[in-house]
Amino acid sequence: MTDTDYGHDLLFGTFVTPVNQPATQAVDLAVVSDRAGLDLVTFQDHPYQPRFHDTWTLMSYAASRTSQIHVSGNVLNLPLRQPAVLARSAASLDVLSGGRLELGIGAGGFWDAIAAMGGRRLSPGQAVEALEEAITVIREVWAADRPGPVRVDGKYYRVHGAKRGPKPPHDIGIWVGAYKPRMLRLIGRVADGWLPSLAYLPGGPADLAELNRHIDGAAAGAGRDPAQVRRLLNVGGQFAPTGRAFLDGPAEQWAEDLAGLTLEYGISGFVLATDDPYTIELFAAEVAPATRELVAAERGATAPVGVRPA
Amino acid sequence: MNYGHPLEFGTFVTPTGEDAVALARRSEELGYDLVTFQDHPYQPAFHDTWTLMSWVAGQTERIHIAANVLNVPLRQPAVLARAAASLDLLSGGRFDLALGAGAFWDAIEAMGGRRLEPGEAVDALSEAIDIIRGLLDAGEPDPLRFDGEHHKLDGAERGPLPRHHIPIWLGAHKRRMLRLLGRKADGWMVTAGYLKPGEFRAGNKIIDEAATEAGRDPAEIRRMLNIGGTFTDQRQGFLQGPPEAWVDDLLPLVVEDGVGTFILMSDDAATLERFARDVAPALRAAVDRALPAPLPTGSFRSAAVRAKRRDGVDYDGVPRSLAELAVEPGDIDFSRVRSNYLRGGNPGIVLRPRSTAEVAEALAFARRHPDLPMGVRSGGHGVSGRSTNDGGIVIDLGFLDGVEVLDEATRRVRIGPGARWKQVAAALEPYGWALSSGDYGGVGVGGLATAGGIGFLGRKHGLTIDHLRAVEMVLADGSTVRASGTENADLFWAVRGAGANFGIVTSFEFEVDEVGEVGWAQLGFVASDTSGFLRRFGEVASSAPRDTTAFLVMGPPRRGQPAVAQLYGMVDSGDPDTVIAQLQPFARMAPMFQQQVVIAPYAAVMGMAPDAEHQGRGEPISRSAFIREITPEFADAAERLLHSGVVFFFQLRTVGGAVADVDPDATAYAHRDAGFSVVAMGVDRERLDRLWDGLSEHFDGLYLSFETDQRPERVADAFPPRTLGRLRELKGRYDPDNVFRDNFNIRPLTGGEES
Ligand SMILES: Cc1cc2nc3c(=O)[nH]c(=O)nc-3n(C[C@H](O)[C@H](O)[C@H](O)COP(=O)(O)OP(=O)(O)OC[C@H]3O[C@@H](n4cnc5c(N)ncnc54)[C@H](O)[C@@H]3O)c2cc1C
Repeated sequence: MTDTDYGHDLLFGTFVTPVNQPATQAVDLAVVSDRAGLDLVTFQDHPYQPRFHDTWTLMSYAASRTSQIHVSGNVLNLPLRQPAVLARSAASLDVLSGGRLELGIGAGGFWDAIAAMGGRRLSPGQAVEALEEAITVIREVWAADRPGPVRVDGKYYRVHGAKRGPKPPHDIGIWVGAYKPRMLRLIGRVADGWLPSLAYLPGGPADLAELNRHIDGAAAGAGRDPAQVRRLLNVGGQFAPTGRAFLDGPAEQWAEDLAGLTLEYGISGFVLATDDPYTIELFAAEVAPATRELVAAERGATAPVGVRPA
Repeated sequence: MNYGHPLEFGTFVTPTGEDAVALARRSEELGYDLVTFQDHPYQPAFHDTWTLMSWVAGQTERIHIAANVLNVPLRQPAVLARAAASLDLLSGGRFDLALGAGAFWDAIEAMGGRRLEPGEAVDALSEAIDIIRGLLDAGEPDPLRFDGEHHKLDGAERGPLPRHHIPIWLGAHKRRMLRLLGRKADGWMVTAGYLKPGEFRAGNKIIDEAATEAGRDPAEIRRMLNIGGTFTDQRQGFLQGPPEAWVDDLLPLVVEDGVGTFILMSDDAATLERFARDVAPALRAAVDRALPAPLPTGSFRSAAVRAKRRDGVDYDGVPRSLAELAVEPGDIDFSRVRSNYLRGGNPGIVLRPRSTAEVAEALAFARRHPDLPMGVRSGGHGVSGRSTNDGGIVIDLGFLDGVEVLDEATRRVRIGPGARWKQVAAALEPYGWALSSGDYGGVGVGGLATAGGIGFLGRKHGLTIDHLRAVEMVLADGSTVRASGTENADLFWAVRGAGANFGIVTSFEFEVDEVGEVGWAQLGFVASDTSGFLRRFGEVASSAPRDTTAFLVMGPPRRGQPAVAQLYGMVDSGDPDTVIAQLQPFARMAPMFQQQVVIAPYAAVMGMAPDAEHQGRGEPISRSAFIREITPEFADAAERLLHSGVVFFFQLRTVGGAVADVDPDATAYAHRDAGFSVVAMGVDRERLDRLWDGLSEHFDGLYLSFETDQRPERVADAFPPRTLGRLRELKGRYDPDNVFRDNFNIRPLTGGEES
């Protein structure tokens, strides 16, 4: 294991566009992802966008139509979702789905559109603070075993005296989509995962090293093991008979490209943006196992796996 | 009094654990119309109701789902609107929106919600209703702005359009809420146990008055009562007794107080079953006996919907069989059915028959409106065919979309006009069969199979109509006939090329071909020397073996860039070497900037068309012609046309081969000797006509399906004299009143005329 491989088991998932016409296309692709044996199906959340489904509704419905796969927002728009209600909704969906919910969440970005929907406009700095408060609220609501009601007297969210619970049946991962140092430090302090998109990294995969460092530093500063933060990555690509570029080539090349991301940058969740069933099947059937093999071989050769998977 | 709503039954299930889901499914099995859940987001013993409703929607198929009622103070109204539309779309139109103003303010505040006084809460709910309705009104073009006391929206985009009209019901007790309900809502939800004697009737009165003051018909508001009780052998009180006693208790509530929905509050499966089995049907029967007329079954159109009706359409005279599925301008489905793929429409009514008999009824209805335009629509991809219109009647055959194998040995298949070619291809694929259609799987069967069908398997297998063996159709006089080589043979002749003029085909019988996987190529060429390129294409495409059919698409060259051409070609062979060999001559025509060649089922090629609703706007402007070959003169002229800036889409479809094997007199599609069908589309009708008319020396007739010009000469271009003469004579026989005139109208030959 190299320095920046955090040793997590690998997850493979899809990033499906939540279009609402045809109405069940996104659900059908979730079902394809589930049957193909992928670990995760995720949907972006833009409540101001009328061509998309409401992501919470879609996630709940898709979870109801699948059996193994985990579902997550990628990522949920916090400013338009009430954190205490979201916490209970998440717990509910985790109960109903038998522990298949993960909570991908973001601070919000398109403030004009958020305000147009009646949401509160925040500055980027405020949005980070609000997200941290929301994560506290969510964790407090889930902590059903702690005594007394929830009391979070935040600047943005005040939850005072709400009952705790329900307790989710599995440890729901709170995964945050982020790129800027302040958000990355927040992730290091309080999140279970980091979920950026490769396409948004101006320097490509090489940027991951620097971004990881922010997270790792903040985690250590908060007394956490950096391996408590799983690193996931939204990727795009295409299958081609011959290798042409990163994630543009045959499945074997994809596996090498992805294994490289695991071994060099500790990425342990690959979320493929696609709405094509055939690509989903190929990703699950050929890329996922080959990547796992490459990573296992390399990890076995360098060091025993020493950290627990988040 | 009774308000005339069909009587419905629902359940009220406690939203906890797995049981809630099981009871919802049981409610569906037992035939309930609705399952409802209370919503208390501050209560950790309960599921989040929205999540639960979404989950239940995924586990059921028929039953409607609603809250009873949603806690609006903890739900953001704009997000709620979109979520409601989503759930309605996902569930296939099964979500109803029941809202409450909120009650437990300590708990709401503890969750981070804002504490409101009761009066404020009613106002906030009223604003929320306006926001929800405003956002769901996806037909409105402008973004929604809302400047309320409690909620502000600063230009939110509207939509999505739900699957069905989502009714808004309110949980209400007090006068202010009841008045709000009368003004704005579609239903009243209240729990019997919380009402004092006489309160229900008093509530109705407040609602009715408020509705009337707001210019509404009180009958628009459904009255819904949550009830609880126990089945016992002996009557012990209200809803405490045997089923007959329950019926006695509930009957006056329907007949005298107008309850339209009873919602049984119980988590006991046996009670739900007993009620469904022994109370609901008996109550329905008792209500029908007690009321002067049986309750209606169709949909109820509100004053707001009726206000959008068009002049001249006898809406109230729509035959009963068609009324339920008919769509008029105020209906939620209108935006889904008004337009075509390429054409905007605004019809007065869309009738959607489900059988041949209903087609005949629809036609009879349309004929009672001789002055209104009538469109016959199958897949809505008409270019020449005006299958939608403004203010008229559309007979939409979308529900007649079956694909059925009649005889495997002879590959005889029956296909409904409303099927799309992608559906047909998908249904035939498992048999190893295909039927050559066109280049786009979204096109409908009805329009294409009555006109010709120039497709990717054409040079090998001929036109779509060449595979037609029989049709069933409804004629202008309302009669239903079969036409084939032996029955009404002259009609069968006319249907194959000019079918739109003779009636409404309600089913087609084809003999389809054995077709395995095919080679499918998309090649992008740099066609800087456009004329030379077109000439080479002409030579290669027309001299290719018959298994190869190629279509070419070009647009105007972009500023500063070379002209490009996109070739779409099919080789009827699953053998990669054959496919490559047949494509080689094409590949040598010019430098390629892109190439994709796959071996795939014909169905996969057709399947590339998305399943989107038609949102066409305006009128397509398209001209069409046949040419025998691509002469140097035509190639030069085409290059000039492409450089004119008038044409944004130019296409050559190769015909010949098997198409030309058929005798020109064998069908009403007579231009068998054509080498290519040419299409040009533009945005300026006059300019396109001027340029196109100037090319006429190159043309030899036209394929009517791509022509939008309505000058009378075009009919003669589509049909050579002998064909046209026979068509006019037959038109005089089968449609003397010229009922069918929406597509290349052939004037009927009347007795006095020379043919
Ligand atoms: C994107 C696109 C691609 C196309 N590609 C091809 C192609 O490759 N080859 C080809 O041959 N054509 C092609 N066409 C033309 C197409 O075949 C015609 O426009 C055809 O009329 C569409 O059929 P429809 O049922 O979808 O249209 P509709 O709009 O439903 O109907 C068009 C007209 O057909 C008549 N009609 C419809 N149903 C019936 C019926 N049941 N009985 C009698 N008359 C009826 C009516 O006059 C109606 O106005 C294409 C059109 C489009 C828009």
